[in-house]
Amino acid sequence: MIVDAHVRLGRGREVALEADQLLATMDALGIDVALVAPDERCIAYDNRAGNEHVAAAAAASEGRLIPYAVANPWRGRAALDELERARDAGARALNVDSVLQGFDLLDGLLDPLLDFAADAGWPVYVRTGTPPSALPLPLAALARRWPGTPFVMGRSGATDFWIDAAPALRHAPNLYGDTSYAPWDTVLVELGRDPQIGPSRLVFSTDAPYTVPSSELRRVLDWPVDDDARRDVLGGTILRLLDPALH
Amino acid sequence: MIDFHTHTPAWRTASWLGGVPFGADEFVAFMDSAGIEQALVLSHDGLFDATPEANDDLAAFVGRYPRRLIGFGTVHPRRADAPAEVDRMLNRLGLRGLKLHPWLQGFSMHELALDPICEVLAQSGGILLSHDGTPPYSTGGQIAALARRHPSLPVVLGHGGLHDTWREALAATIETPNLYICICGTPPYAAREILSRAPSHKVLFGTDAGLSDRKSQDYAVARVAEIDGWGISDEQRRAMLVDNPRALLAAGR
Repeated sequence: MIVDAHVRLGRGREVALEADQLLATMDALGIDVALVAPDERCIAYDNRAGNEHVAAAAAASEGRLIPYAVANPWRGRAALDELERARDAGARALNVDSVLQGFDLLDGLLDPLLDFAADAGWPVYVRTGTPPSALPLPLAALARRWPGTPFVMGRSGATDFWIDAAPALRHAPNLYGDTSYAPWDTVLVELGRDPQIGPSRLVFSTDAPYTVPSSELRRVLDWPVDDDARRDVLGGTILRLLDPALH
Repeated sequence: MIDFHTHTPAWRTASWLGGVPFGADEFVAFMDSAGIEQALVLSHDGLFDATPEANDDLAAFVGRYPRRLIGFGTVHPRRADAPAEVDRMLNRLGLRGLKLHPWLQGFSMHELALDPICEVLAQSGGILLSHDGTPPYSTGGQIAALARRHPSLPVVLGHGGLHDTWREALAATIETPNLYICICGTPPYAAREILSRAPSHKVLFGTDAGLSDRKSQDYAVARVAEIDGWGISDEQRRAMLVDNPRALLAAGR
């Protein structure tokens, strides 16, 4: 089974993706399931509209789309209420973008949402990269404070903070890397052969609609790892994070 | 097509993303496999230790295939002999430009030590290509400020702003006449936007080949293939891969 661990549905500043397009791409590429997050505006501002949009898409997908929930932590108690609504509507993971949402991973604003995720048994996807408020190592420090919650290091620091991806993964054993944008023959091979990391700590995502999804999948298929490791990267690991009891 | 951003192996110095060593024959075989006719080959060791020997090694590498490989050496701008080394690179070693990597080499584009270097480069018909896309020392705005100090010198943003500063890189390219933008490691949606909004003659493409764990440079081949999925026109593709790099290189000399 192939699971795409991160896609955004809706209209961003320069991109757009709707559920029918996504499902057609998944069919073409042999991707069985995708975790879907709301678009940029809804991550930043209109959390309710975004959560409702991805919940409706998931409900109509016969199990192929799994919704993330988003809530801007600046909203305080209202953010937690929004996560409760999203959970009741089917959300199964928390999605965080500290750049779009305007906070620092270590300023404490996100802590109540992480408590909620821990109670709900949700994994947490956090977009990382170059911005100082979205770097891999502060995310590792944050993840260590919720050791029972799996965190996915979205984009794994692409690109110049790929150099911090391995130290972050070594520092926080509950942190998982994301394959999007990462060449197998430079970045993934380094993470995969690290005895403290290994391929099973990485999850495949296309990060659509920002990418060429077929290229994202091709790269992981071309990566010469054994079949068990590839199964984990392509879906086994993220399925375990979503539901440890079933996998 | 012309690949405007590749590297030699790191023969002496790199301890991260160094990749496997390869020779010029193997590099040209990779180019053939990806449909690349010419490649700009940038210094690699020199980014970690900018010695004249690193430029000599680069010149020897590209000298094996002078019609296929074009070398860009490097210097550390704070070294007093840097302008003289740039003169030697271009006028004795046959290199065509200067590669700078401000955050890796540890300097700011606003340092005045760069001015005599850029003057020699401009007088010799060279091109400056800088790493970009990463604070604190490699943003498009910082590199554009240097380009404005040297308006006759073509300056190339080597990575199109990467993931988080591509809008800045695009804006700087639009407002700075002698600034060019090389899409290299830039995410596909940003590449599409850059191609639709930048002056059409200013967009270039690079694979960043040379860092792979395989001599066949698999990720670089994949990056060329990925262009098919960007959703750009045939005209944009030809300009980026053929016409623009050819014109920029021809204007330099």
